[in-house]
Amino acid sequence: MRGPDIQWYVVLSAILFATGALGVMLRRSPLIILLSVEIMLNAANLLLIAFSRLHGREDGQVFAISVMAVAASEVVVGLGLIVALGRRNVELDVDKLRTLRG
Amino acid sequence: MNAAAWTCLVLPLASAVAITLCGTRISRRLAGYVATTAALGAFAAAVTAFVIMLGESPDERAHTTTSWTWLSAGQYRFGFTLLTDQLSVMMMLVVAGVGSLIVAYSVGYMDGDDEERRYFAYISLFVFSMLLLVQSGNLLLLLAGWGMVGLSSYLLIGYNQERPSAIAAAKKAFVMNAFGDATMALSLFLLVQHTGRLDYAGVFAASPHGGAIANLIALGLLGGALAKSAQIPLHTWLPDAMEGPTPVSALIHAATMVTAGVYLIVRCHPLFENAYVIEDLAAGLGAATLLMAGLIALVQVDIKRVIAYSTMSQIGFMFVGAGLGAYPNAMFHLMTHAFFKALLFMTAGLAIHAIVGEQDIRKLAGIGKLMPFTKIVFLVGSLALVGIPPFSGFFSKDSILASALDHGWYGIVIFVAGLIGTFLTGIYAFRLYFIVFTGEPTAFAREHIHLHQGKEAPFSMRWPVAVLALLAGIGGLLQFAPLWHPLTTWLDPVAAPIVEPTTTQEWIASTLAVVAGVAGMAVSWAIYSAHRVRAPKPVRLFEKKFYWDELYDLIWYRPADAIARGLYTFFEKPLIVGSLAAVTGGAGLGSRELGRAQNGLVRSYALALASGLAILTVVFVAVR
Repeated sequence: MRGPDIQWYVVLSAILFATGALGVMLRRSPLIILLSVEIMLNAANLLLIAFSRLHGREDGQVFAISVMAVAASEVVVGLGLIVALGRRNVELDVDKLRTLRG
Repeated sequence: MNAAAWTCLVLPLASAVAITLCGTRISRRLAGYVATTAALGAFAAAVTAFVIMLGESPDERAHTTTSWTWLSAGQYRFGFTLLTDQLSVMMMLVVAGVGSLIVAYSVGYMDGDDEERRYFAYISLFVFSMLLLVQSGNLLLLLAGWGMVGLSSYLLIGYNQERPSAIAAAKKAFVMNAFGDATMALSLFLLVQHTGRLDYAGVFAASPHGGAIANLIALGLLGGALAKSAQIPLHTWLPDAMEGPTPVSALIHAATMVTAGVYLIVRCHPLFENAYVIEDLAAGLGAATLLMAGLIALVQVDIKRVIAYSTMSQIGFMFVGAGLGAYPNAMFHLMTHAFFKALLFMTAGLAIHAIVGEQDIRKLAGIGKLMPFTKIVFLVGSLALVGIPPFSGFFSKDSILASALDHGWYGIVIFVAGLIGTFLTGIYAFRLYFIVFTGEPTAFAREHIHLHQGKEAPFSMRWPVAVLALLAGIGGLLQFAPLWHPLTTWLDPVAAPIVEPTTTQEWIASTLAVVAGVAGMAVSWAIYSAHRVRAPKPVRLFEKKFYWDELYDLIWYRPADAIARGLYTFFEKPLIVGSLAAVTGGAGLGSRELGRAQNGLVRSYALALASGLAILTVVFVAVR
């Protein structure tokens, strides 16, 4: 098999996931949080495909495509919400958007 | 024979059921007639059984009839069995005979009461229960009858349910009787354990002779007898039971139910003979009761309570007879006592009925002039009670005293107690008679007397009283121990006496008892009629009824109350109530604290998720 060993993929994926998680936890803008979530999802995708290649089977790739579809829908909804908030001149800060706390 | 026995038992029950089911569809008076007819029918059936039995040879007079197996557990089977023998036929005659007279009397006495139908249903139930008690063919059925007479007694004492004192008296009677029922049940457990059966013949044949078990069995039965017959130490309920209507006092608390204890001892005499200590104890307690009740009766001012104490005293005589082994004499006194004591109660009822419910003898004083019939029948009852020949008490009481002479030093002690008791009987019986029936009527009596169409009472009340007066007058002639004794012969196959007083002893006892009775009457005459002697001040000990109520209050009620209060303060309040408060408070606090975690900060949720994931990862890695 050509290309780097599986360890590289795993490490890269971990770095990407950690980046995304930190982004979700530290940033306040919903837009950035959405982006960070996308990074985490893609870290997972990367692992799926890497292992799929390692084992020579296609299941992981199928899953990766499903995850992409889910991520795309999520982005549609999330971005739609953010645009709606922006149109209403609401400050885009998740710490202040707490009215649905319950 | 068996048909007669079943008819006798079932008729009163049918009457109770019919009156209950018909409710307001029948008139109040009709309910009374239904109950009377049923009781008379039961009496007729008892007479039939008696007549049939007369035609049989003495050894073949016991008949058992089982309708169905009532209870079966493992190898034990207890049938719904009736036993008709000489003893139970005698009791059936007394219960149904006196019972029907008293139910007939009630028709007049209860006339105009709002709930006559309830009364007649109860009293029919009582007659049924009492017949079940005396006809039962095994001890288990006897216990059922025993409990049911307790129940109907409770219902009838508390008949005036709007009066708190009546309710309290009913509860007291029930609780004290329940104690007796419990000791009886324990005794039956022992019998089942040691003999495996409960039918009379089988139990008597197989029960242990002597030893702790035999004593315990007899003691348990004696406990039941003491409670039902109001003997020391379980007697305190009987005077309070006078809260019930007067015919109830006459039927249940004089003639029938309270003598059930005597019947029990006589019926189970083989068990008591196996435990002679307990039999002596029964006689001793009877003697103590007859003395104590006689002393208390001297100072009571309620006419019914005086008669109630007199009942306790007379049942004391019967216990003496039964305890000493003079079973036929005890049964004979039971019968004559049923006549004259029911007569006294019903006569008191005539007076109470005429003077609108007044029972205080100081207010009733002198009504003899207004009610001559009542005066005469009361005199007959009193003479029979004191035992003046030829009235019935003379024949039955004196033969009990004579049997005491045939029982060693213990018998002599009891004999002396009995003589003193007779003397006291003379005083209190004639104290009542002289105060209530002789002398000038009080203004209260003149003002409140309420005659019934010119007569002292309606006919329905007078004829049963007259019949009973006749029986109390001559009923004792049935047996005169030194000369003729058909009753002893009749009962011999069932309850042969174990004491045989000589003719000399009979004469000594009779003479001394009559002398004591007459002396009592003379003292009473000197104080209450001739006023030659000033009445001594009432002794506080007697007025307080020897402090039995206070004693039981101190022994049972107070400690129970203190323990309950202590448990409430030290256990229930901190532990039960406190733990409930802790649980609710803890749930509230916990949910409030947990609610803080939901702060609406997305980042904190994400942090929680991530840290949870991290912890899980570490755990899984570490566990591997």
